[in-house]
Amino acid sequence: MNVLWTMKYKPQTLDEVVGNQEAKDKILKWVHEWDKKPPKKRALFLYGSPGTGKTIVVEALAKDLGMELVQSNASNYRTAEAVQKFAGTASQYTTLFGKKRLILFDELDGITGTADRGGLRVITDIVKATASPIILTANNAYDPRFSTLREHCQLVEFRKLTRTDIEAQLRKICSREGVKAEAEALRLVAERASGDLRSAVNDLQALAQGRKQLAYDDVKWLSTRDRKDAIFKVLGDIFYARNVLDARRAVDAADVDLDMLLEWIYENAPHQIKDPKELSAAMEMLASADLYRGRIGSTQNWELMRYYVDFMTAGVAVSWSHKASGWVPFKFPTRIMSMSQSRAQRAMLAAIGLKIGRRCHMSATRAAKEVIPYLRIIFQSNEEQKNGLAKWFDLDEDMVNYLTAQK
Amino acid sequence: MWTEKYRPRSLSDIVDQEEIVNRLKSFVKAQNVPNCIFAGPPGTGKTTAALCLAQDLYGPGYREYVMELNASDERGINVVRETVKTFARTRSIGKVSFKILILDEADNMTGDAQQALRRTMERYTETARFILIANYSGKIIEPIQSRCAPFRFTYLPREHAVNWVKRIAENEGLTIKEDGLEAILEISGGDLRRTTNILQTAASVGKPINEETVYSVVGRANPADVQGMLLTALNGDFVEARKKLRDMLLKYGLAGTDIIGQIHSETFRLNVPDKWKVKLADVIGEVDFRLLQGSNEEIQLSALLAKLVEAGAEIKRGQ
Repeated sequence: MNVLWTMKYKPQTLDEVVGNQEAKDKILKWVHEWDKKPPKKRALFLYGSPGTGKTIVVEALAKDLGMELVQSNASNYRTAEAVQKFAGTASQYTTLFGKKRLILFDELDGITGTADRGGLRVITDIVKATASPIILTANNAYDPRFSTLREHCQLVEFRKLTRTDIEAQLRKICSREGVKAEAEALRLVAERASGDLRSAVNDLQALAQGRKQLAYDDVKWLSTRDRKDAIFKVLGDIFYARNVLDARRAVDAADVDLDMLLEWIYENAPHQIKDPKELSAAMEMLASADLYRGRIGSTQNWELMRYYVDFMTAGVAVSWSHKASGWVPFKFPTRIMSMSQSRAQRAMLAAIGLKIGRRCHMSATRAAKEVIPYLRIIFQSNEEQKNGLAKWFDLDEDMVNYLTAQK
Repeated sequence: MWTEKYRPRSLSDIVDQEEIVNRLKSFVKAQNVPNCIFAGPPGTGKTTAALCLAQDLYGPGYREYVMELNASDERGINVVRETVKTFARTRSIGKVSFKILILDEADNMTGDAQQALRRTMERYTETARFILIANYSGKIIEPIQSRCAPFRFTYLPREHAVNWVKRIAENEGLTIKEDGLEAILEISGGDLRRTTNILQTAASVGKPINEETVYSVVGRANPADVQGMLLTALNGDFVEARKKLRDMLLKYGLAGTDIIGQIHSETFRLNVPDKWKVKLADVIGEVDFRLLQGSNEEIQLSALLAKLVEAGAEIKRGQ
């Protein structure tokens, strides 16, 4: 029960590893080169942000190819002796039963200070002469400390996972755990992880373990967890930016979700910008930002993200003269709340619409628009007709109550 | 629902659209029906005509030979294609050798979906005939139009609408004042479904139906006060106008494209200089297009409201 989901759902084969196909291909090709003779570069250096799957790929690879994995992490790198003890022999001799061996130096970033430099030097020596393939991982391969080591390694970059990839993985876990999760909820969790699958899965476990359902309302506080102060600062930096670069930088500096930020700016624009012409210009910029967001959605071309950011930040900043009429506090985006509140209501309208449509030969949308408004008045004013119609349309009790409720 | 209770069951019961009805009757007589497009504004009897044709053709058991599909409800052309396939594959066993498929709101189908529909229509010509129902035949692609017999439905002339209301009133034992009748006809403008719905609702509210009951019913039924929203924006209150917009979208479940349609027709009635009307039409058109591309309804429409606020301010300054 207390197993970490990141362990429980760890991929067992290379195929199951999400994303970074290019990196996986490169690694596989390099390992197969060893079948003939050691390649020119005897070590691979995998680098990339946390949670992009570096270690997991190596583990899955060893399993796929039936290799013995000799694994080490930061604590083993303290001294030259420790490294030598861990990997020196392993790199020189094959295993007893001819099983091939794969050596992993994980989390090289863990090496700190001068004391550890000895360890790094030994690793470099081992890499030069190893008889077994070696793989190293770190967040940043271009750290000056690694400059010598880097020369003897082939570099492989691990990119941040896309939101869609993370979302798909979360969905899989939820279905295996028997959690019914709303798409928007998973989307928010995935988005907040900004490319780090491990943290997304950890977040999900914290939110969903032991539950049957996970609604957007259960997770939406995640987005406000980016402390209100932080959001207020970003908003101030954007609305009152002195130039376009400052406005853009405001987003880079703060770790906020872009869709959420758009909501904040959209909510607050009319409260900050009072001049009609300026407000109109600013709203046009937000509409353009939204347009690019839509294009990203339909083309899945994330490169377009920069334009989305341009319009919502720099676009808004240059739309107005920054002459606010006194201090106006920023307001929480009410649209988000209204949307989750009204979702059930819209589902109800659609369900009633479908029932009407079946009887009155029209689509559910059309029925919702043309018939429900009248039906509502009839239900509220005439008990006899109400009962007759409810039966004829085959409406359930909830539907009848919904139509009868005064609004 | 009175719309269904009083819906004609046979072509002979239809009082209006004489020319169309006569042509349809000749199809029944010949026991042969081509593929058809019924086009025209809402509430003019398109669906009724299609159903009556089917009932006259097949008799009481007509449901077995007729399938009604709604393009707006069926998710994607694949569903339509599969349903049509299973329905049209089997030959009709009665004396009429084909079945009839009524596809309502066909003008809501995308171009691609219509292309696929066209192929389906061709494949099953032996066993099925299609009646496509649409508000605008122009939204139906050329190749389908050329394969169908076109029928243009028009708004009911006034005297027919009057007779219609009087007939229902007599049957239901209602008292309708002259001004009440006027109001109903004025508001529904030849749309019989709307006429009937207003009549039934007014009847459920109070005994004598007069101008006041009719207008109060219609007012309550139309929370989507597009005109009010536009005027609020013109008067400079963007935040309030945006709230009205949000209510329409979220509370009343209206689609952005419906709202934009209403905004368009209202705009030309607004008390703003013509120069601005044209400028606004340009913005409206752009928003309309963006909505079709899947942009966010509220943000796009809000940008339009902000334009109106700008227009309002400029007009005021000019005076």
